Amino acid sequence: MKKKLLAMTLCLAMAFSCVACGGSKESGDAAATTGAAEATGETAADASGSNTVVVAMGGGFSTLDPGYVYEKYPPVVVTACYENLFKFYTNDGAPEPCLADTYEFSEDGLTLTVKLKDGVTFASGNKMTSADVAFSINHCKNLQGNPSFMTETIESIETPDESTVVFHLTQADSAILSKLTYSALAVLDSAVVKENGGTDAADAATADTAQAYLDTTSAGSGMYIMTSYIPDDEIILEKNPNYWGEGTNVDKYIIKIQPDANTQMMTLSMGDVDVALNMTDDTIAELESVENVEILNAATKTVGFVMMNMNETYGGPVSNPKVQQAIRKAIDYAGVQMICGQGTLTPYDIIQVGFMGSKGERKTDYTNVEEAKKLLAEAGYPNGFDIDLTVTDLDMEGILLTDLAQKLKDDLAQIGINANIVAQPWAAGYGDAYRDGTLGFTVMYWGIDYNDPNVQLEFLPGAVVGLRAGWTAEMNPELAAMYQETMNATDNDARIAILEKIQDAMYEDGPFVMIAQAPAHIGYNTRLDGVAISDPYALDLTLINVK
Amino acid sequence: MLNSVKKLFKSNYLFTFGVMICLAWIIAAILAPVIAPYDPIVQDLSLRLKPPSAQHWFGTDNFGRDIFSRVIYGGRYSLLAGCLTVVIAGFIGTFYGAIAGYVGGWVDNVMMRISEMILSFPSLILAMIINAVMGSNLFNTMFALVIVAWPTYARLMRSVVLSVKENEYVTASEALGASKVRILMKEIIPNSISSVLIMATTDIGNQILMFSTLSFLGLGSAPPTPEWGMMVSDGVDYFNKFWVAGFPGLAIFTMAVGANFIGDGLRDLLDPKLRKQF
Repeated sequence: MKKKLLAMTLCLAMAFSCVACGGSKESGDAAATTGAAEATGETAADASGSNTVVVAMGGGFSTLDPGYVYEKYPPVVVTACYENLFKFYTNDGAPEPCLADTYEFSEDGLTLTVKLKDGVTFASGNKMTSADVAFSINHCKNLQGNPSFMTETIESIETPDESTVVFHLTQADSAILSKLTYSALAVLDSAVVKENGGTDAADAATADTAQAYLDTTSAGSGMYIMTSYIPDDEIILEKNPNYWGEGTNVDKYIIKIQPDANTQMMTLSMGDVDVALNMTDDTIAELESVENVEILNAATKTVGFVMMNMNETYGGPVSNPKVQQAIRKAIDYAGVQMICGQGTLTPYDIIQVGFMGSKGERKTDYTNVEEAKKLLAEAGYPNGFDIDLTVTDLDMEGILLTDLAQKLKDDLAQIGINANIVAQPWAAGYGDAYRDGTLGFTVMYWGIDYNDPNVQLEFLPGAVVGLRAGWTAEMNPELAAMYQETMNATDNDARIAILEKIQDAMYEDGPFVMIAQAPAHIGYNTRLDGVAISDPYALDLTLINVK
Repeated sequence: MLNSVKKLFKSNYLFTFGVMICLAWIIAAILAPVIAPYDPIVQDLSLRLKPPSAQHWFGTDNFGRDIFSRVIYGGRYSLLAGCLTVVIAGFIGTFYGAIAGYVGGWVDNVMMRISEMILSFPSLILAMIINAVMGSNLFNTMFALVIVAWPTYARLMRSVVLSVKENEYVTASEALGASKVRILMKEIIPNSISSVLIMATTDIGNQILMFSTLSFLGLGSAPPTPEWGMMVSDGVDYFNKFWVAGFPGLAIFTMAVGANFIGDGLRDLLDPKLRKQF
């Protein structure tokens, strides 16, 4: 009896798997070529002369419906299959028009008028119009998923004609263009999405059923079409035959979701994978001797910082501005960079290198133990003091915060401060204490929500992170006021001027010391051109060509 | 007794081996400042991740600290945690179990249900919870280990006491009018303690492993304490540099094996059923 049951279950399982395979083949237009490419090997240009590129990247996401995209890696797929009004074509600088042709802010900064490019079509052949833009942004807003906060400052969208979109904002928001580059606000083919259950109505959170469809294929105007998505395994992108712009010479991408750095390193060195996104400092050392493999190291905008509470009740001696200056002088930034790995750099201040308005890196000769000792003595601690340095069990892009704390402890010992590291798990009190602003002295990291320097304004007095350090707006009203000033500055030059003023004010003062921008390491096969580290998209597939 | 210990050394090579390993570790731990060539905490980034060499026998870690020195110092924490946990847990468990077994009745019932409550949790998870809630440092980790370990001793003690208390000499003491406390202390416990001792020696190895496991998970003492479990977990990030995790791992291994060999040997010596062999 048992055997019979087992046999029956096995048969059923097989039947199901056959159906599943059949389904996914049919959904792709080019089922036959898919099979052929897989059979002949995945890397080098195959017999038919088409270029296939294999990318390995991390996971941590379960949908590719742009309306829900918030994690690090989905933008790799979304930027290839969809397009936004604006886009970051390079890894730094300001957003540039993509589907937008021209844009204009009203005098008070409360209205943004965008003229769309002419002649843009979706992969389905439908023409892209202002209705599609309005639909996509309302869709994301009303789904109330993780990225919906991106639309918080958008009050309403008006479409006076087919090629004009007018955004009415709740307040002046100089980051709005950057927000519009975000993958979650990609422009969808509204006709196709509606056909498959999509809606942008206020009740989209419950009424929208298009996710199942958008997890099997894409509905955008991008260079590629997603033909297959197996969660936590593989994504296949094929060239969009109806692409309105000029494409690259890569016909097909196979994206392997394979987060392990060592596996990626080995498959890359054997030539099974062309681009590996999750290299670590340790694995790139192994690749140095491998022919045909190039390594890119660059700082991300995830930044580690030391926080010294301005409230004496919590901060004790580190609430003293002179002590804060001394600690800033005592940290061996070059050593921190060494521990974090190749590509790490220390930003000038709260605006990371790579952001518009950044003042670059902190001066390399800033560290000065003698001066730090002098400052400490001036503060009334000629022999230093003992203090608890609380640290939690998190890592910043793979760099343990406890490692940063150990380095800091060693540096502070040079000027007589005895930092006693206290480990406290995030869930067991650290998280609450951090948010409530009751931590005295800690090392933490900050990852950006979207690619715009305005996210860093939270470090100002009276703002979210500022308050976590007990830094209220009353303590520095002038600096606190710059928050709103920056938000209002829709003109880039004006915004850069204020951002620079902020950085100068915080270079030597305040409760935060930005110690390192964590690096990212990408390994790629030298047969490719145009592989580059991208903060907003992790990797922009539309820039890659086969040599 | 002394004779049988001598016999044990001669006949049981594993026991001898275990004693040698543990003695070596104890000496190393006590004389750490003399033996260790470098300060285990001071960093030197110019020497990051250097492989084993004449200057640094076990290589250096990602802060340029000498791993040999750290391993030598690390023995202090593991030995302390292993031994102290067993002593305290054994002490609590012995009295708890003896009282429950000797008094019997509803007292026994209530006491044993309490200890079973703790036993019914997976021990590692319970220790992790205690540690996470109280904050992780050496003392709290040991506290968590004791909480998890003592009920086993209590159960064992109670079961032995149940049979010991039926002996004639206990009845004789009662007849002579000895108080319950006196009987417990003078008759029951001395006659039941050997099984607890056997378990305690075997348990030292387990506790060292358990302590290392907790430190590996980031719930032991705070860095930069040179603790073995934590050193192994640091080394996991350096897949291709075997010495970072390898040597502390080897230290944990030898210490646990040594303690287990001693435990096995002592069981052969003390267990009444096996004693006839000598």
